[in-house]
Amino acid sequence: MELGGLLLYFTALVTMGGIYAVMALGLNLCWGMTGLFNVGIAGFFAVGAYTSALLTTPPALTGGVDVGGLGWPMPAGWLAATVIAAAVAWAVGRICLRLRSDYLAIATIGIAEIIRLVALNEETFTGGAYGIKGIPRPFETMDRPWGEIAMMLLIGLIVFAVYLFLQRARNSPWGRVMRAIRDNETAAAAMGKDVEAFRLQAFIIGSAFMGLGGALTAHYLKVFHPEASEPLYATFLVWVMLIVGGSGNNRGAILGAVLVWLLWTASELITGALPPEWGVKIAYLKMFLVGLLLVVVLQWFPAGLLPERPPKLAGGPTAK
Amino acid sequence: MIEFINNYLVPGLILGSIYALGAIGVSMIYSILRFAHFAHGDLMTFGAYLAYAVVVAADWPPLVALPFAIAGTAAAALVIDNLAYRPFRKSRPIVVVIASFGVALMLRAAIMLIWGVQPAPYVEGIEPPLESLEPFRIHEKHIIIVGTALVLVIALHLLLTRTKMGKAMRAMSDDADLARVTGIGTERVIAWTWIVGAVLAAAAGVLMAIDTQIKPTLGWDQLLPLFAAAILGGLGRPYGAILGGLVIGMVEELSSYPAWDTVQIFGAKLLELDKPIISPGYKTGLAFAIMIIMLIWRPQGLLRGRVL
Amino acid sequence: MLVAEGLVGGYGGADILKGVSMRLDAREIVVIIGPNGAGKSTVMKAVFGLVALREGRITFDGQDIARLPTEQRVRRGLAYVPQERNVFVSLSVHENLEMGAFVRSTVPRSVYDRVYTLFPPLAEKRRQAAGELSGGQRQMLAVGRALMVEPKVLLLDEPTAGLSPRAMDEIFACIRAINREGVAILMVEQNAKQALGLAHRGYVLATGENRFTDTGAALLANREVAESFLGGGH
Repeated sequence: MELGGLLLYFTALVTMGGIYAVMALGLNLCWGMTGLFNVGIAGFFAVGAYTSALLTTPPALTGGVDVGGLGWPMPAGWLAATVIAAAVAWAVGRICLRLRSDYLAIATIGIAEIIRLVALNEETFTGGAYGIKGIPRPFETMDRPWGEIAMMLLIGLIVFAVYLFLQRARNSPWGRVMRAIRDNETAAAAMGKDVEAFRLQAFIIGSAFMGLGGALTAHYLKVFHPEASEPLYATFLVWVMLIVGGSGNNRGAILGAVLVWLLWTASELITGALPPEWGVKIAYLKMFLVGLLLVVVLQWFPAGLLPERPPKLAGGPTAK
Repeated sequence: MIEFINNYLVPGLILGSIYALGAIGVSMIYSILRFAHFAHGDLMTFGAYLAYAVVVAADWPPLVALPFAIAGTAAAALVIDNLAYRPFRKSRPIVVVIASFGVALMLRAAIMLIWGVQPAPYVEGIEPPLESLEPFRIHEKHIIIVGTALVLVIALHLLLTRTKMGKAMRAMSDDADLARVTGIGTERVIAWTWIVGAVLAAAAGVLMAIDTQIKPTLGWDQLLPLFAAAILGGLGRPYGAILGGLVIGMVEELSSYPAWDTVQIFGAKLLELDKPIISPGYKTGLAFAIMIIMLIWRPQGLLRGRVL
Repeated sequence: MLVAEGLVGGYGGADILKGVSMRLDAREIVVIIGPNGAGKSTVMKAVFGLVALREGRITFDGQDIARLPTEQRVRRGLAYVPQERNVFVSLSVHENLEMGAFVRSTVPRSVYDRVYTLFPPLAEKRRQAAGELSGGQRQMLAVGRALMVEPKVLLLDEPTAGLSPRAMDEIFACIRAINREGVAILMVEQNAKQALGLAHRGYVLATGENRFTDTGAALLANREVAESFLGGGH
């Protein structure tokens, strides 16, 4: 592959890997730090994507359907996506967080499903099965490969910002309470911590990042439709990324995202070289491997590549 | 009235019977193994495809292929438990749930790899409704579905009330620790739970495919209604699961009944809409809504099952 | 018959047992008493294999059973009645007894009859769900369930907890009757005084260690034991 193609491949890899990293970081907050079994990633992803797409896409370009594209600037769209995803998470969390872990999983899957149904059915808003097209992309007016490189750097910046934010949160008193709740909820409650409130906060913030990931994806790909938030890609792949990378560890989340995405896209190279019928089979094989990874990594590498290391306390007394 | 029966009641009963079979498995696995089995839908699909393979190869009717599907799915379930779930018996329940997600993906992918993604009918051609039951529009396949479901439920009842292993399953569902203390061989009970769950799932999958058609997402699409039915009835209560399945099935089919367009109380029209309140596209969302309501209002379900 | 030596262990991190030893001979009733948190129930659970031991030996009929899974211990003739949640609430009385005999391939009618004779209220309610029984009847069922394997040793964890004084007397009478039929009984009890009156020998535990060991009568007469430990119960 010549240099230009290699460069484009690399930027695409890092860009999409970075977007996944944002979502894995969000999941890490929910699951790794707080122990909330959020399997509805696809739902928040879709909410963020549609919100930003609808707000920023110029009216004439919204897929030919009379959808309310408002043509806002992109950063505003992304911010709105994050906020709306947070709002949805608030509503979902208030109802579902009190449920125990298995139930929370079922509930979050259900919510994601409802969101998908809304996206499919409310055509006037979402373009139905066809979705929204012509979503603006950052730097699209620049020449190749500079536009791609700029996008990659932007995503990298966002990942870095999210990482810093979550590291700060993790090392703060708030983060310590979160871990205490995850490890021993009754003890934390006995200490007078409002367990419900803390868990809700973690759920909202984590899901908001998933929404941001959705928005970034929509802008990067320039189209978005219900299939794009298909659970395999939006939910389970992110889970695999976190488990492989190391849940409870923010660096692990980023590492897992980039690594798994690398493997995922590397198989595209193989697919490209094979005859078409095989190409389709490879897609199913990848799905099989995701499932296999989930089972195998849990069994033999439960801590992931970068196991969780409790942050150093600044000389303060321990919670127990 | 005939309209109602033909277009809503009968389909509701059919769907409900299928849901019931799947929900019993989910319910029992939950109460004995203590986790939500997210691969149950794909077990159903697996069973359906096994039968399909036999139907295509031997040109037998689906019902005759059913025993093969059942045997194959039971064997698969035991292997899956041994490889993917058993290592996690002593871990936090979440871990085995994640593993079941992995198994679900693997099953579905394997099915797609072998059979492709195109939906297909079991038998070509459309059968007319049975003339003997006019004006009710009942097809032979409806009789097969409800009849098979009934036979299986009766067999299950006999198993649970007349056999030692069946009673051991109920005992372990009540209190797994006490079962261990009593000397009940818990791994054997678990194996039988998988067998029973897989038999019912395979049957549900085959019946569903008989009713509609076979496709790789057959079972995964039913997962939410199955969980909803199991929770509605009360986890660990097989009869609850049956009840829950029938209710959910009925509700889903009845949700598009046009009578809801016109809300009347004592003959005075309150609301008149030009399309149903619940658009058909949201049918599957209904099961979910029922489930959430149950989880918040009465988590032990209608027949008072296990809460967690 | 049943010997436990130097048991050290507990649940997870902290050791509750710090070196407990005791012995149960054939046909004896041995009682374990002591304050809350002393490790009385834990010893019993350790003997039955429900609690992990870091150190110690347990021999039954001369054989080391420390590594044996619970199911095997039941087959060898060890039966355990937990303090709480000791019946299968949705199964009938008779089905509960059936489950008690799970490890046996055949169960002669006489085994059931023996339990029903010992606990007449159970005979009346044999088809009723165990969840509908009163506290005392549940306790009877729990003990009856354990008897279905015709055990050599019966481990009872606070059999009279939460019972009325009359029910307590009935249970103790039943325990005496079971013992007379040849079953050795190891019993943890909070109602220390009455239990010691029933026992051949007793062990007093405190903070995970042995404190006193003697015959039941001697312990009752012992001033120090009486002051510190016999206040317990209601």
